[in-house]
Amino acid sequence: MKALILSDKEFRTKQYEALSELVIGHLKKKGFETKEYAIGREDLAFCMGCFGCWVKKPGECVISDQIASINYKYINSDVTIYLSPVIFGQFSANIKNALDRWLPNILPFFERRPDGSTIHPGRYNSYAKQIFIGYGDDLEPEDAKLFEDIIKKHRRNTEVLIYTDSSEFLQELEKIELRKVGSRI
Amino acid sequence: MSSKKLVVIINASPKVKTNPSVSGYLSGLQESYMEASGIDIHHINVRENLSSKDTDKDFEIMRKADAIIFNFPLYIFCLPGMLMHFLQDYVTYRKDGPAAGTTAEASAVFSGKSVQRIYAVVNCGFPEAYINEEAVNVIKSFSRKIGAMFRFGVLLGSGGMIIGNLDYPVMKTMKAGLEEAFQTLADDILKEGQDSIENKSYEANFPRRLYLFMGNRFWYSEAKKNGLKKKALYQRPYLK
Repeated sequence: MKALILSDKEFRTKQYEALSELVIGHLKKKGFETKEYAIGREDLAFCMGCFGCWVKKPGECVISDQIASINYKYINSDVTIYLSPVIFGQFSANIKNALDRWLPNILPFFERRPDGSTIHPGRYNSYAKQIFIGYGDDLEPEDAKLFEDIIKKHRRNTEVLIYTDSSEFLQELEKIELRKVGSRI
Repeated sequence: MSSKKLVVIINASPKVKTNPSVSGYLSGLQESYMEASGIDIHHINVRENLSSKDTDKDFEIMRKADAIIFNFPLYIFCLPGMLMHFLQDYVTYRKDGPAAGTTAEASAVFSGKSVQRIYAVVNCGFPEAYINEEAVNVIKSFSRKIGAMFRFGVLLGSGGMIIGNLDYPVMKTMKAGLEEAFQTLADDILKEGQDSIENKSYEANFPRRLYLFMGNRFWYSEAKKNGLKKKALYQRPYLK
């Protein structure tokens, strides 16, 4: 079993160190082989909204940098865990860059969901389960709630947790099934 | 009344200059409303700002402006990473730059101005405008962090139909909505409105099924232009 971890090089706080140790320990205990990418400002270019990953080189970003190997690992992992600082209630810039450039992994078409909203269908038959763990010193409850809404409201088969230095956090992490999800993301 | 107002209009589309963006187009529309109301304008293109060596010049203008309007597309249900870099850098500038320690409220009191106002104009390619709500709330949170006053958001669905189509009957509601929203925005800056204003949402008045059908056809024709067959769009390059 394989797990991919994405983290932000610019936010190596004490809280991050504790969280990372806990998550890696948890994965190890469950028998996962892990690969971590710590993303810095110079590692990934900004998505340029060209849609080349849909109509020029379907499934691959046209900008060549680390994203090809990140997306490759994501598709071939069972679980992907994002250790993201919560900034203004969303992902930090470096984590968001990786997420913006995750776009090649889905199809350009529109699909209607049971609740009537629109979504892009999956390109693959199954995906790594995406688990987003937000952290931050003095996190406002409003920002933590917004972080959860951004992840859960319009997506399927994702999990979100806010890191707190408590036993409940580990209990919540334990509850998450660590395995691939289907094509519904 | 105090001196002439200054608004910073920010185009935070990650698209490169040769590729026209909805956010750039909307920034241009806002400009005409501000000009007609006698408000001074400073434009910032986030991609250009981040690649320039002198980002602080723009940050200083932002710090002193009466209002800031953020125009950006929704990327994976929130702000593009590029805009997040810009906002993170701006907060660092406010914290560590020449005016460190000066809150927006303190600057306002010192200069006799009212607290800085922030607006967000967010567009997405899906037909539903409400999907932009969380992104507007991110700008609201950013406003709190810099001590500015978030006023309202403009949430736009069917973003792909905005450029060049506003005069078509199906876009009549959208066009009228944008006119009303941008006029409200200019009045709010000018009159220093205090009453809260609800977010405004607009979508194309177009049968949804047809919008989705046309959207799907669009991708096939774009792929064809690149010499790709329909089937190629479904490639799975990372399957082991």
